[in-house]
This record gives sequence, C-alpha cells and structure tokens, in this order.
Amino acid sequence: MGATLATALALVAAAEPTWSAADLKTLRGLWIGALKPPPPDPSNKVADNAKAADLGRALFSDTGLSANGQVSCASCHQPGHAFTDALPTGHGVGTGNRRTMPIAPAVYSPWQFWDGRADSLWAQALGPVENPAEHGFSRTEVARVLAARYSDAYERLFGPLPDLADRNRFPLRAAPGGDPAAKAAWEGMSDADQILINRVYANFGKAVAAYERTLKIRPSRFDAYLAGVFGAPDPHARLSPDELAGLRLFIGKGQCANCHNGPLLSNHGFANTGVPAHPDLPRDLGRAAGVRAAVADPFNCKGVYSDAPAGCEELEFAVIDNPGQVRAYKVPSLRGVGQRAPYMHAGQFSSLEQVVDHYSRAPRAPDGASEIKPLRLSADERRQIVAFLRTLDEQPAPSPHG
Amino acid sequence: MPQFARINRRSLAYRVLGGVALLAVVLAGGVAAAKPRDLNISLDRPSDRGVFRVRIQSQVAPIPLSRVHPWTVHLTDQAGLPVSGAVIAIDGGMPEHHHGLPTAPRAASAATPGDYLISGMKFSMTGWWVLNLSIKAPDGRTDRITFNMVL
Repeated sequence: MGATLATALALVAAAEPTWSAADLKTLRGLWIGALKPPPPDPSNKVADNAKAADLGRALFSDTGLSANGQVSCASCHQPGHAFTDALPTGHGVGTGNRRTMPIAPAVYSPWQFWDGRADSLWAQALGPVENPAEHGFSRTEVARVLAARYSDAYERLFGPLPDLADRNRFPLRAAPGGDPAAKAAWEGMSDADQILINRVYANFGKAVAAYERTLKIRPSRFDAYLAGVFGAPDPHARLSPDELAGLRLFIGKGQCANCHNGPLLSNHGFANTGVPAHPDLPRDLGRAAGVRAAVADPFNCKGVYSDAPAGCEELEFAVIDNPGQVRAYKVPSLRGVGQRAPYMHAGQFSSLEQVVDHYSRAPRAPDGASEIKPLRLSADERRQIVAFLRTLDEQPAPSPHG
Repeated sequence: MPQFARINRRSLAYRVLGGVALLAVVLAGGVAAAKPRDLNISLDRPSDRGVFRVRIQSQVAPIPLSRVHPWTVHLTDQAGLPVSGAVIAIDGGMPEHHHGLPTAPRAASAATPGDYLISGMKFSMTGWWVLNLSIKAPDGRTDRITFNMVL
C-alpha cells in the first residue's frame, strides 16, 4: 500500500512540469485572469449604455435588415457557435471572401476585419450590411427599418429620426457603394440629407457595437490549470502530458506566443504568415489595402460621425505603405479555436493539424513576404501543440439552475 | 510618406544587418537577423558617429504591450549642451521577424531645451525590438542611433 502510494506520488510529481520564472511570466500573461474590461471606445458615446445594448441585440438578429429578408448579423455570427459559422467564407445573400470572425475578442481590438479596414466595432458593423454578398442592404433601408420598428428605442438614445416620408429626398434604396441603381439614388441626394442618413446609419452601428461589447470570453480548461499554477486554493484542472508538452512548445520552440500573446492569445496585430491564396478568390492584399480603407472611411474615429473629441491614436499613427503589410492578416485570438474550424482568413485550412503543419513548414508567401521561419516540428510535437490548443475550448456558460 | 518609409527601411537595414544587399534578401523573405549575444540595451548612448548623446524613455513603465503610449527623447551634443529644434525621424521593428513597428510614431519638440516627445509608440509582441532615430539638428549636424529593447 505504501509502495503504491509512493509510486502514485512519483507519477504525479513527474506529470507536474517545472516552469522557469520567464515561463511563468509568459503564462501569467496568457491567463484569462489578466484580461481587463474592454478598453473604452470614445468614438461611441453609447458604447457602454445598456439600452443601446438592448437595441443592438435586437438589430443583431433582425433578418429584416437584408435584401432578401433572410440574413442578419447572427446568420454568420451564430451565438450558438461562438459567433461564427462553420464555413470557409461567410454566406449571406451571397458568398463572401472572408472567414466569419468571432466577436467577443474583437471588442478588445483596435482594428476590425481580417484586414483591419475599420477602426471600431461600430464602423465594422456597417460594412456587412451594405456588402452585396452579406446583407445586400442599403443605409436608407436601414433608416426606414429603424423608423418603422425601433423608433422609440432609437430616439431615446440618439434623438429624433429624420422624417423619411419624402421618397424624392430619401430614396427607398440608396448607398454610396451599392449596386448602380442604389449608387445613383445616393448621388442624387443632397449633401445634407446624406449626412442625416449617415448619422442614423452610424447610430445603428453604435447600438450593435454596444451589444457586442456585452459578449464575454468564457474561461477554458487552460485557465483552470493556470489558476492552480498560480496558487488558487480551489480544485483546478490538470493538463495531460501531451497538452503540457504542447504548451511548452507554444511558448517556446513553436514561437506561437510571439504573436498569440496576452489573455486573448492575440497581439491584435497583422502578419503575413504565408497562408496560401484561396484559388477561387481575387488577389487580396490584406492589411496593405485594409489600412488605406480605414483611413479613408468616413465612419472612422476622426470622422464627423465619431463621438471622440480627440485621441484616435491608432488611426493617427497607423502605418501606411509598408511592404510588410502585403497579405498581412489579423492575428486572431486562439480562445475557443478548436471549436471553430475552418481556419485562416478564407478558411484555407480545415483542421488545426493543417494549421500547425503550415507553421512548421513555413512555405513562401503567395504575395509579399512571410514573417515566419520553418520550425521543423516532429509529428509528435505538432500533435502536442494541437492537444494544447484544444485546452483553449471555451467552457459552457453555467446554467441558471446552478 | 512613401519616401519617409523608404529612407527608414534603409536605415534599419544598414544598422541591423549591415548592408543593402542583405536588405534585398530580407525583403525576399530569406534571412532574418538573429539577436546578437552582446546586444547593447542601453537607452542612453552616444549616436553612431558621436555627434549627439541621446536618451529615450517610455512614459509608461513597464513598457506596455499592444498599447499606444508616449516616449521622451533628451538630446545633447558632445559638450553636453541640450540640442533643441532638431528633426527626429523614427523607425524600427523586429529584425528576427521581418516586420517594422506596428505604428508610425512621430517626434515633436517639447517645451524644455533638448527635450522631445515621441507620440504613437506601440509594441505588439515580446522579443527584440530596434528603434532607429535619424536626427538632424538645426545647425545641420546629423547622426543616427539604433536602440535595442527586449520586451
């Protein structure tokens, strides 16, 4: 009996890794305990307004905000699927060019979309609505939906809606980047009326953003393990030897934590990692084009629809015209990554195994230059990294009945 | 802006890798500079040709990750006298990862002699970063300096 106990203790001791002081510093940075409340968004005065979040929640799942009456934000950002779909690229009215991104981590990011072409959550929310492959809608139609069905909630937050009765002044379907008829209708509007509609459209985005800011990152088994590492007295999760080896590779030889750092396992930056181009999609310059779009966006932090009195530092000091931005895409959060295949900005890889294999081989980029070097990971090492990544699965929300 | 970027990319290559030929290799994605063992991480040093002495300091300690924050520069000449009114261009990046700074910081004169404020600094990951300052004093003296930081 004594010998059995001694053997058991020895096995436990063998399974408990020893982390160096530097490792512990890195691990503490990855822990969800290091996650602060979302940064304020001075460009959105209703960012943390509960009534705006209520309105935004309703708008988020309203299929009336689409050309065919069947597409809402929630069609691709499915609440039951970590706010993504399981598709290589999103399906709205048509098929888009990019993989649907999860929303909760985006609340922390200074740049939205895979290429960072919007500099706030609310500016991001406006893009898909007028994208012909997504909602296929127009901003005058959005204003009419708000007036018809949300006017009380809207006006309490933002003041009176414009009177849209005159269809000569406010065409049914008008958008600056829409189909030719919608574009012509937009160009036929007076500057003042365009501004009235843009303001309503911006407020629509701000309400949606307020809802998105209420979405929470849920802890993973990895966090429960770290709680034990950092001395939490409560029972905490253990990781298997493979998962621990994978974690060691993640913060060491695999160099994953160089970019996938911080409590969201993302530095919110952009990198060209040599991801293959999607064979059926047009040439895609990634961040190189995205930053130009963000700077030119009338709905950016420095624009007239922004509530920010000053600041906008990310936009003010944005890097433009740098060759390193060609085919650079956002470094995504890895929280819940095992639950949301396929991967990369156009769903190029269907499994985590393929992703880790790509980083191990580090092939030449199809355009621009890849930042990564071959890691030459063994099959065991690749399997261990995948095992670790699966410990990042978000745990289910606690049931209301305990 | 494109010209600014070009000049600074060259300065990075000269400083860190030692030549334009290597720059071409780096842009082709072939070689990354490995961190030297004897990396000088002092943030208070004479410039390359000794024209100035340059001291830089983050205004947020410890240096934050993934957050825009300001730095200060104190610039003196060989005699230790403050140099005001200089034009300071800033560039940098991570030699081991083929990328530049995630933001485009700018320096402006502060109120006190020899002092400057760098706005828009941000570091997006841990590791070895270089920060290059190209300095042009109002009397025409110029020099450069590369600072190293390990975050």
